[in-house]
Order: sequence, then structure tokens, then C-alpha cells
Amino acid sequence: MIEQIPHILVLLGLIVSAILTFHFKDLLAATLAAGLFGFLISLEFYILQAPDVAISQAAIGAGLTTAIFIIAIRATGRFEGESS
Amino acid sequence: MSRIVRTAADLLYPVILIFGLYIVAHGHLTPGGGFQGGAVIATGGALVIVAYSYKEISGWLKKNVLLGREVIGLVGFIGVGLLALAFGQVFFFNYLAGSGSLFGMPVPYGINAGELNTAGVIPLMNFAVGIEVWGGLTIVILYMLSGLEKEGC
Amino acid sequence: MKKMFVVVASLLILAAFFGVMAMTLTFGSPMVTDMDDYFLRHGQEQTGSNNQCTAVVFDFRAFDTLGESTVLFCGIMGAALMFRKMQGGEEYEDE
Repeated sequence: MIEQIPHILVLLGLIVSAILTFHFKDLLAATLAAGLFGFLISLEFYILQAPDVAISQAAIGAGLTTAIFIIAIRATGRFEGESS
Repeated sequence: MSRIVRTAADLLYPVILIFGLYIVAHGHLTPGGGFQGGAVIATGGALVIVAYSYKEISGWLKKNVLLGREVIGLVGFIGVGLLALAFGQVFFFNYLAGSGSLFGMPVPYGINAGELNTAGVIPLMNFAVGIEVWGGLTIVILYMLSGLEKEGC
Repeated sequence: MKKMFVVVASLLILAAFFGVMAMTLTFGSPMVTDMDDYFLRHGQEQTGSNNQCTAVVFDFRAFDTLGESTVLFCGIMGAALMFRKMQGGEEYEDE
């Protein structure tokens, strides 16, 4: 039972960050919440003893996807419903 | 972006580059490999690309160099596999393992700390795939930024 | 409305059927581990690599890695082709 506690904490963090991604009207904050989601899922992969998958998930899910979304936000509006 | 982001990107880019090259070079000993190391290096490139504007970045991140890096990676990967035919083996055979030449040191059986000079063609394939992923994932972000500059914002 | 009800009810019955069928199976049995045992026993001396994950990906299953590299290459070439046409010369048509 004691070794289940990190799993439960990480999964609760996953649910909270997914809800925050859905909830934010500021798209930059929503992008950062999506990056937090990718980082937490890579932590879960590391806890499940798959460090290969954890490295590629941390590099692509938390790094490159966030960069692409930030470039897209720079080209359009920052808030939801606004067009620059 | 602001001066804080630019200074942090300048400081962090060599560190990320060295770490990614470490993951690629030690792919046959520690967790990781070509794809993971290339993705880590591309993340460092994405940090620099996000921090600066397109006019400043286009002087030292050339598109043709990145495209050539991707092509050289894929051709090198297939070439290492095809070179096994010259040794009289099948396609993708590990002809260098245990041969005593480059990356050919025989490895002791069981749990050991590992030696960098082992594993035959696996480090060569790691380098090829790492170079390919480095060029490929960087140039996608660079093309997105160039399309943004075209729109004028 | 009645059609909708029939569709939803049939979907629910189908889902319950598959759920019950999945409950009766035990996970991971019959356990077939011949290939795993072969890789773990002979992988180190055949490939000389201490990391068995890389040994499987780059040596035993190298055709899989070749396909993955080709898929990445084709995707990036498609993106480069699209943005190069938009960049050089003619205007990007916006209806």
C-alpha cells in the first residue's frame, strides 16, 4: 500500500492539470498546463520503470509541443475568442 | 522575448547540446538512444528559436544545413545496414560485434559496468538516427517561425 | 426519438456484453515468454550491448527502426514542401 502513494499523487496531478488546461481562458496559461501534463506523464513512465519512454515523452510532450503552441499563440491572439 | 529569456537560452543551449550528445553516444550502455538524444537536442534548439526572432536566428541556423543533416542521417542509417552485404551477411547484420576493430570489443557476460567501445554497429546507427532526428525536429519549428514572419507579426 | 433510444440501448447492451467478456479473462495468461527469454539470455553475447532495449530496437528489430525513420523523414519532407511553396515568390492565397 505504501508504494502506491506516488502513483496516486501523480495521477491526481494529471487529472488536475488536464482540468486546468480545459478551464483557462488565457491560452498561454493553458499551454503551460499542457506542458505540466506532459511532464507529469513522463514522471509516471519513470515510476513505472520505463526510462526510455520517459526521456522521449519529456523531450517531445513537454518541450517541443509547448514551443510549437507558443509560436502559434505569437501568430494569433493570446485570449480565447480574440483574433489579432 | 525579454532579456531574461534570451540570457537563459544562451546559457542553457550548450548544456542541453552536451547532454543530448551524451544520451546518443551512450545509447548502448544507459537508457536512451538515437531518437531520445535527438529529441533532447531539438528541445534546446526550440528554446533558442522561441527566445529570438527569425531575423536573428537565420544567420546561424541555416535551413539547408538542417535538411542536409536529416538526409545524411537517413542515408547513413541505410548505408550502415547495407554494408553488411559487403561482408557476406544479411541486411542489418551486426558485423562489427566482437570483431576487435571499431566498437568491436568483446563484452563479458553478466552484470558489468560496460565499456564504450562495444556493441558493433549499434552506436553507428544511434549516431545516424540522432543526427536525423536533430535536423528533422528542429526544421519543423524553424519553418513554422518563418511562416509567422511572412504574416508580419 | 424512438430510433435514438434503440441505438443507445443496443450500444449499451453491446458494451455490457464486451465488459462481461473482458471480466472473465485473466490478464496475461497464457504466458508465452519464449522470445523474451531468448533475448534476455543471448542478447548480450550476440550484440555486445549492455542495454537490452537498444539491442532489441537497433539489432533484432532493426527493420522497425528503419520504418520509423522513413515515416519521420516523409512527414518532415511534406511540411518542408508546404512551407517552401508558401515562402517563395507567390502570395499565400487567403480566399
